[in-house]
This record gives sequence, structure tokens and C-alpha cells, in this order.
Amino acid sequence: MSGSAPEQLKKWILDRHPEVPDIEPDFDLLENRLIDSLAFVEFMLLVSRLSGEDIDMEDIDIDDFRTLHRIEERYFRAGVL
Amino acid sequence: MPGLEQDKRFVEILQRLVDKSVDGYYNPYREFTWPDSLPDDRMWMSEDLTSTYGTEVEAELSPAERCRLSRWESINFYSMNVEGIRELIIEVMRRIHSRGFEVPSDFFHHFIGEENEHMWFFAEFCLRYGGKIYSGPKLNSIGHKDPRVENFLVFSKILLFEEIVDYYNMRMAADDTLHETIRKVNRVHHEDESRHIAFGRELVGLLYSQLAVDASAEQRRDIEEYLKRYIVFSLRSFYNPQVYRDAGINDPLGFRERLLADPARRDAERKSVRKPMAFMLKAGIFADDLLPTA
Repeated sequence: MSGSAPEQLKKWILDRHPEVPDIEPDFDLLENRLIDSLAFVEFMLLVSRLSGEDIDMEDIDIDDFRTLHRIEERYFRAGVL
Repeated sequence: MPGLEQDKRFVEILQRLVDKSVDGYYNPYREFTWPDSLPDDRMWMSEDLTSTYGTEVEAELSPAERCRLSRWESINFYSMNVEGIRELIIEVMRRIHSRGFEVPSDFFHHFIGEENEHMWFFAEFCLRYGGKIYSGPKLNSIGHKDPRVENFLVFSKILLFEEIVDYYNMRMAADDTLHETIRKVNRVHHEDESRHIAFGRELVGLLYSQLAVDASAEQRRDIEEYLKRYIVFSLRSFYNPQVYRDAGINDPLGFRERLLADPARRDAERKSVRKPMAFMLKAGIFADDLLPTA
């Protein structure tokens, strides 16, 4: 998988939703079911791998995964993106 | 949900299953003897059920590392049961004695009671021998807007979950390399689940036949796609990075990715879902046996 971390996250979602042309940074991924309960764990593990942060699956704030913008702020905030 | 009461076969099967539940009733709180500890130098899960089985990664592990990993994989398996049973009890509780579920409600009482007891002994195992119950993130699934589809999906997921678990239960109950406590937990669960699976197959088949009357080809495709994703989601739950971390594996996420990428895992996964896939195909719910990658 190539590209920056946000590009990789976006691509991961778009690959699973060919009907969606693009995702705005503040688009609610959960409310709009681009990430549903069946996809959430894999997506979270991808964020963990790309950010290098050891995410505690039992103690996460779901809202941190609500938009690409929020994910960037929470997991890639050191200017990595 | 009109129609269940009109299906004579369904009504007769329900009565037979209720009778079996009553006749075979046991006290789970007295059924098991729990030793203080289980041996560290033996496998806690059948080797061919572990998530490393058949892979290149497996060959890199020492016998002691495999035993340690099997311990945490078994705690993960019973934790999945605790989590899954909690969800299915909630869903059945929502429907018992509600409109459309008049016929199976008597069976639901036995189902809920037995599942509650299963959750107890699985949790007991996890807490006694692992000191924890693994848990995952709680992202509530949004129900389907058509209640008939939602009912069908709920009972299909319950059935698929039970069938996958039963594959593991049957294997471990018969595996004489495992400690008797491990074999018994799996044996007792399998014996009860055989009734729940028989019920689930009948109900899911009936609900689908009612749905299929006026469902469009697109709706049927969506249902198939969703349930296949659920199967893959369930299979992936066996590759838990928290387990690998507890087993002392360096880079748990990298370890998980290597396992998932190993073609040997596809064969093992296929074996574990052979029965439910065959049922879904026979019932006309699945058009083919292809599964998505993730």
C-alpha cells in the first residue's frame, strides 16, 4: 500500500465503496456507514499500523474515528500528514 | 411476521427441541469441576484450530511458544463466546413474546436460559485461567429499515456465529491431547448448541422464504454480501493482536498480517465454515461460495 497515511486510509475505504467518488475530511464515516460494525476493527488496526500507535481496542473513543480529519488530529497530529 | 404458526414442520420441531431442553436440563453451576490451574506445558486449544496452524510463522515458534499462544487463543475463543452470547441474548430478548414471534417464544425461554449459562461458564474459564475477558470496540450496528430483513439478518448472524463456534467445540471436545476441563466445556456447549443450530436453520430458512417472495435481486445480493462480510468478520476475530501481545509475540500487528497473508489460512478458515456455507447455499441465501477478502 503506497501514499501518505491519510491517502491510504481513504483508499482503504473507497476500495470497499466503489459507489463513493471521494470523501471530504469532515464527512462522518460512521453515521454514513462507510465504516460499519463489521469493518471497524480492521480499519482501527490499519490506523494503528499506519500511525505506529498501539491502540487499546478495549478503551477507544469511537468518535476519534468518525471523520478523516478527526483521525488525522488524533493519530497523526505531529505533522506526519 | 405472519406464517410461522402455519408451518407445521416448524411447530413440531420447536416442540421436540423444547422437550429435549427440558429432559436434558442440568445445573451448569455444579456441572464443572474447576482445577486451580491448567498445565502450562500442554496445548489449551487443538493445534489445528490455532491461528498459526499450517503457516510459515508456525514453524518459527518453539513448542513452549505454541503452548503459550494456544492458552491466549483459547481465552480469546471463550471471550468471543461471551461477547457473542451477550449480543444474541439482547436480540432474542427484544423479540420474545412480541408480535410475530408468538410461536418460537416458548423455545426462546430455553434458548435465553441456556445461553446465559453458557456465557457464565465461558466467562468463568476466562477469568479463572486468563484473568481477563477480551473485548473489542463497541460500534453499534444500525438496524435495517425493513424489520423483516432486520429479523432475518439477526437470526442469520446468530446461526453463523453458533455454527463457527460449534466447529471449534466439536474438535476440542474430541481432542484427547487437551485437558479434561477444556474438553468438557467444549463438549457441554456443543450438546446444547446442536439444538440451537437445529432451531436456527429452521427459522432462518423460513424467514428467508418469506422474504424472497417479494425481495428484488438487488436486495438479495445486499443480504448475501452483508452475511458473507459477517462470516469474514467472525473469522478475523480469531486473529486478535491482543492475544499475540499477551503471548509475548513481538510486533503483534505484523504477526497478524503475516498470518492473514498466508494461503494456508484460507484452507483452515474454509474448513471452519464448511457447514454454514453449505446451508446458506442450499437455502438459496447465497448464490455462490465466494467470500470477500475483508
